[in-house]
Amino acid sequence: MSSDNLSLKIEFGGGLELLFSKQRSHNITIPAIVRKDDSTSSLPQENDVETKPADITYLIHHLRDHLLKERPELFIENKTVRPGILVLVNDTDWELEGEGDYQLKNGDEIVFISTLHGG
Amino acid sequence: MSSCGNPNAEADALMTRRPKYDRSKACVKCKSKTGNIVIRHAVYCKDCFFPLISLRFRRTLEPHVNPTLDLHRRKGLKASGNLLIGFSGGLGSTVLLDLVQKTYLAPRERQDGDQNPNGGCPWPKVVVAHIDTSSVLTEVQGESCRIRGVVESYGAVFEYLPLRLEDAFDQKWWRSVGGPDFVHPTGLDIINEDMFLKLLSSNRTSPSSALNAYIASLPTQTAVASGIQALVRVLLLYTAVSTHASHLLLGTSLTSLSISLISSISQGGGYSIKEEAQEEWSDNNEDGTDRTVRLVRPLREVGTKECTLWAWWNDLTVIGKHRYSGGRQDISALTRDFIVGLEKDYPSTVSAIARTCNKLTTKESTNTKCLFCERPVQSGIQEWKHKISIRSYRDLGPDIMSPPHMNLEGGSSGDSRPTHTGPVASNLCYACHTTWTSRSIRGNAASQNDIPIPVWVASRSDHHNDLRNGRKVEENDLQYLIKDFLLDSGS
Repeated sequence: MSSDNLSLKIEFGGGLELLFSKQRSHNITIPAIVRKDDSTSSLPQENDVETKPADITYLIHHLRDHLLKERPELFIENKTVRPGILVLVNDTDWELEGEGDYQLKNGDEIVFISTLHGG
Repeated sequence: MSSCGNPNAEADALMTRRPKYDRSKACVKCKSKTGNIVIRHAVYCKDCFFPLISLRFRRTLEPHVNPTLDLHRRKGLKASGNLLIGFSGGLGSTVLLDLVQKTYLAPRERQDGDQNPNGGCPWPKVVVAHIDTSSVLTEVQGESCRIRGVVESYGAVFEYLPLRLEDAFDQKWWRSVGGPDFVHPTGLDIINEDMFLKLLSSNRTSPSSALNAYIASLPTQTAVASGIQALVRVLLLYTAVSTHASHLLLGTSLTSLSISLISSISQGGGYSIKEEAQEEWSDNNEDGTDRTVRLVRPLREVGTKECTLWAWWNDLTVIGKHRYSGGRQDISALTRDFIVGLEKDYPSTVSAIARTCNKLTTKESTNTKCLFCERPVQSGIQEWKHKISIRSYRDLGPDIMSPPHMNLEGGSSGDSRPTHTGPVASNLCYACHTTWTSRSIRGNAASQNDIPIPVWVASRSDHHNDLRNGRKVEENDLQYLIKDFLLDSGS
């Protein structure tokens, strides 16, 4: 594994997996340094692009652009996950980890669970 | 960092984001471990989370298990009948089933706050009922088998009872739950704001097509959603009576309760706001005896977030994911979107809705039950509605003269009234009446006839018809009809 990339385990639950090829678990690799505007296109060679360490906000955009199969409006809203989607970072509520600003580490396990199913 | 500058001019002028938790990341209960979840600004670790939810569940349910509150304090928990759990396969009911099994049906050690010192299950039998709604909701087709699998995965501790939504129009089901026979097939005519029950010449419609005709006759998307919800609720209540259950439990979470409270109020259900959270429902039996069922929502202090994590960390299978499809435009769905969005940034506000509604009470009580939803009917509500509503002259009775310039062809539209058995508007709660008579967004007047009605409505109207037509009434039937006017034998 290159130090330029991060290897992550992503899990979906509560019906969200239906948007991601009906597959609950995914292993993905993302760049460790990404564009500050969360664009998921690869970084150019020139140094005039603003960058940042990959965080969950970037991951959400990456999942939308590379893994999501349908209806992005059910997953992402205003550059974050849609209300009603719970995020766990290594089994801990992302609200304790800074939500979208949490800087991803190699081997992190991120879980997205929809709470919007019936009662 | 400045917190009151212009964010367009100064890069650092944005206000500092407030953390979602109050103090530190340490668990507020054990104060030693790092927290795993934030529940309304309080941090809990995973080890403290499970007892916390279990305690909230028991604290909500157990004061209502014994017939009277003082009995519970002295003798532990003992219900007067069986337990019926309404199980949709959705998140709340899945967590509820798991909590009932873990709390009362699995051997365990004593826990803090345990109000059942004798241990064991307070109910002799626990029945789990699932209502198959696939005949009207295509997205839930094929779920019933999986739902049975979930219930049976707990072993023989639960008895599974499958029902269908169309049972609400099935005389066989009605007889099976002990409902009184009725001979006259009855339908509903909506001429204007008055609604009439009408004797039909035959009753050959299958329960399934009767259900579909009933749903198709509801004037708005909101009416369809609330109509299905009411059918499910009343089906479960009569099933509870037939299974000798003293309690009916539903998996309504705090978030779902806040949604149904706001949604119900906005649909005119304010008078029965108390029943939205919890209700004592009595079936007025033919033999004059009342069979009471206590409907409790033991997850009403547990939010959707906690339910989701309970299900995730316990690896529970949640089947009902149909609400995820989104896109519905009825009041209930729009309220859900609003409350879920609100809960993200202001989680305590959602619980404040439920707590505030819990303090509300009606000025006067009533003995009249709505024909359709069987919730209380506020006395004089139709008169009040007539005073405050802007209505068409066509909606007025024949005794009201219209002004000369209003040349209404044929006068009032109630020409066919002689075939009707009588108006039912006065026997409907405000919410049900408004649901049936509201106009759709396209402005269509709700004028329809021969609408099939649920068996409990038909049965009650049949009793009244017999009286009106002069048929000899049996002593038990008579007692049923005049029971509201009888004095207690002890008084």
